[in-house]
Amino acid sequence: MSRTPSRSLCLSPQALGLVITLGCTAVMAAPLNEPLKPLPPEPALDRATVELGRQLFNEKRLSVNGSLSCASCHQLATGGADNKPFSLGFDGKPVRVNTPTVFNASLNFKQFWDGRATTLEAQIEQVVISPAEMGSDWKTVIDNLAAMPQYQAAFTQVYPDGVTAANVKNALATYERTLLTPNSRFDQYLLGNTEILTLEEKYGYQRFKEYGCIACHQGVNIGGNMFQKFGVMGDYFKGREPAETDLGRYLVTKDEEDRNVFKVPSLRNVAVTAPYFHNASAKTLEEAVDVMFTFQLGRIPSQEDKDRIVKFLKTLTGEWAGKPL
Amino acid sequence: MRPSRRNAVQLLLGTVTVLLASVLVFLYIKSSTDQTAHYTQSRDLIRQMQQLNAQWDSEVLKARIALTQNYDPLVAPLTEITRLWAELQGHASYHDPQDLPRWQAGLEAGEVALEEKARLVDQFKSHNAVLRNSLAFLPTAEDDIQAQFNRLGDEGRMQLQSVATDTYDLLLSSLEFAQVASDDRAAEILLGLNLLAVNKEQMPAEFHVPVDILSNHIALIVREQPVVNSLLERIATVPVAERLDDLTTHLNQDQQASDLIEQKYHHYLLVFSTLLVAMLLYLAIRLLRSFAEVNRVNRALHAINTNLEQRVEERTRQLKDAQSELLDSARQAGMAEIATNVLHNVGNVLNSVNISADLVARKLRTSKALGLGKAMQLINEHPDDLGTYLREDEKGKLLPGYLNQLVEAIAVEQQGLTDELAQLSKSVDHIKDIVSTQQSYAGVSSVLEPLHISALMEDALRMNSGALSRHHVTVVKEYAEVPEIMADKHRLLLIMVNLISNAKYAMSNLSNRPRQITLSIKTVEGNLLQISVKDDGEGIPAENMARIFTHGFTTRKEGHGFGLHSCALAAIEMNGRLTAHSDGPGQGALFTLQIPFNEAAGQA
Repeated sequence: MSRTPSRSLCLSPQALGLVITLGCTAVMAAPLNEPLKPLPPEPALDRATVELGRQLFNEKRLSVNGSLSCASCHQLATGGADNKPFSLGFDGKPVRVNTPTVFNASLNFKQFWDGRATTLEAQIEQVVISPAEMGSDWKTVIDNLAAMPQYQAAFTQVYPDGVTAANVKNALATYERTLLTPNSRFDQYLLGNTEILTLEEKYGYQRFKEYGCIACHQGVNIGGNMFQKFGVMGDYFKGREPAETDLGRYLVTKDEEDRNVFKVPSLRNVAVTAPYFHNASAKTLEEAVDVMFTFQLGRIPSQEDKDRIVKFLKTLTGEWAGKPL
Repeated sequence: MRPSRRNAVQLLLGTVTVLLASVLVFLYIKSSTDQTAHYTQSRDLIRQMQQLNAQWDSEVLKARIALTQNYDPLVAPLTEITRLWAELQGHASYHDPQDLPRWQAGLEAGEVALEEKARLVDQFKSHNAVLRNSLAFLPTAEDDIQAQFNRLGDEGRMQLQSVATDTYDLLLSSLEFAQVASDDRAAEILLGLNLLAVNKEQMPAEFHVPVDILSNHIALIVREQPVVNSLLERIATVPVAERLDDLTTHLNQDQQASDLIEQKYHHYLLVFSTLLVAMLLYLAIRLLRSFAEVNRVNRALHAINTNLEQRVEERTRQLKDAQSELLDSARQAGMAEIATNVLHNVGNVLNSVNISADLVARKLRTSKALGLGKAMQLINEHPDDLGTYLREDEKGKLLPGYLNQLVEAIAVEQQGLTDELAQLSKSVDHIKDIVSTQQSYAGVSSVLEPLHISALMEDALRMNSGALSRHHVTVVKEYAEVPEIMADKHRLLLIMVNLISNAKYAMSNLSNRPRQITLSIKTVEGNLLQISVKDDGEGIPAENMARIFTHGFTTRKEGHGFGLHSCALAAIEMNGRLTAHSDGPGQGALFTLQIPFNEAAGQA
């Protein structure tokens, strides 16, 4: 301690300037080293492919009866999902789990609540052929698309082999990789703009970490990088009407270990993607936070702390097409 | 026959070249497929995966000791390894096909190991997250209970002192358990938990919730810690690194094998190249030799060629000399012929001159003027008595009558002499004409002058007239009305004289029918003057027709073969042409000259 001042006396003017410069830079933009990470920049992808993917994303011919497009359930204007507990399939019947947002989905380590798809392409594949969702098959889809000259042209421009199932999936996945919601206030905070959050919100983040939410909801997508049992500290499903989908990842692996295990969802844009959980059982963010405290954390927070955490969660809402969601 | 053989040889050569080239290319490809790069790339991929795998392991350990709460680093290596794995699978094409199943098996084993590790790491993430959370929370939970204790009065605290101590021990045991998870400790903790549950009943109600929370979390630690530990052990035993090593080993062996093959082909290539180089050297030597040979022959040919040129020049010069000699002699001969003609014509005329002169001389010798002398003698004998004599004398009386008769006779005689002298002078004029005509044609003139063709033809006839009359040749003239034209008199006359002369010669052996020349003059096609000379003579055999106008061709013993040639030349010089026609030997011949003309009137 006593050495430091004597050393700083020896600093040359240039070194002093350097120190000041470094200091300033650090104040201006040094990203915070937190378990939560800011969104990466939008990847540079082929514009034509992205545009084709965008058209396909809004293409109702992907469903067997032309009633649904990806965008029917993943509405980009409203958080990348719909506000229904269960979206309606091509036949008008509700699907079995709540629709997760398509925003930032490319950052999830796996897709679907039960993580049965490792890639976006596999996710698209399953939705198109799912008898509850689009109910189609690839031959029908390809025939339908190939019959339209504008698709013929757009596909030929991007892919040498034209309209194929693999190319449809690739184009859609490429488009989905651009569906990021940058510039959330919390991301700005992480990037060094510590003034952007209110004190309450900063407390909320503090509580988020202290209570252990951070144990699962961390990383760049604030979740979406691990599986977790729903009901770590108690049986969440007790007393509820049982549903097959409550088995979660067990349905994929048939491993007892995976009973009631789900992919931890991303908390980005969580404030605009109600209702919550695979079965849409929580209608509001507060409700969902309560459930998490009871069954995942086994803690009883103060109402003040809960409010702060909810306030913090609302800072995670990003922007799409330059507008806040 | 020969071209097809040459083609066959060329085809053979091409085939051999292509064959040699393909062997070379084949060997080259076989010996330098540059598989080293492929193997290196694959090994590099595997090495990267090994690094990622190690990184993955270290991230797992970091998470294990709660160094980081971010689980993204536990996801990223797998994503990257999966990508590299797909790339590696795309590289498989260069493996020895016989060895392919082993390689595939190695890849499959690697995939299985990778999947297993991914599954275990996922489970580890889940369990470790809640375990770390509970462990981190434990002191806080204990603090909450201690806070409740502190809120109690001293009495109550004394009463629950043992409970507090037990709780604290339980906390410490749990934290120790997190470090060393033995079954003994687990049993101990379970015992402590049971004790806490029993103690809870003794404690005031406000303790129940914090105690339950603490119990729950400790129970979770007891439950999860062994799971996490066992997962870590299982992760450590998943042979991902070993499988990757296996693949590297396989690649090394594969490369050694392919290197051996490559070396073998390298040797082949070397031997083959040496052979090719030797062949090329041989061919080069052959080429050089044949090049030298070609050069030598070329030089020889060049020398011969030069020599030949000199000889041709010399011969040409000789020919030119001969031609000019011939020309000279022909001219001389022509002049001699013309001179003969002229002399003959002159001789003819001289004959009549001679006759006239004889006649005049005879008339003078027998002139009645001599009688005048006798009469004058009689008169002179009587100078004094002339009157008397004339009146008296018998002789004297006859004298005046005699004189009168004499005067008449002399007048007649004088008339006859005058006539004869006129004839004589005419003949002399004729000679002068002939000579002057000849003189006017002797010069070489090429000037155009107004001409009457028929008059010119007459001149030509006149020049030949002696010979024609000597050979009793009848001349038939078929002159059409032709205007006065501008033409080269000398050349035209040359042609006409020659053609007439030829016609005359052609008929010199004719004895069974009258000799007749037909001369015709007319215009054809408006501006062509056509002059033709036709004879009934010996004709021209077909084989001679082609060379009848060539220089030196003649059928006559004394001929020099110049006449028709010079005529043809003259015709060409006047932009016209001279043609010959004959129905065959004994059928006579027709020579036709056609020249373009301009009317003299137009020129004037």
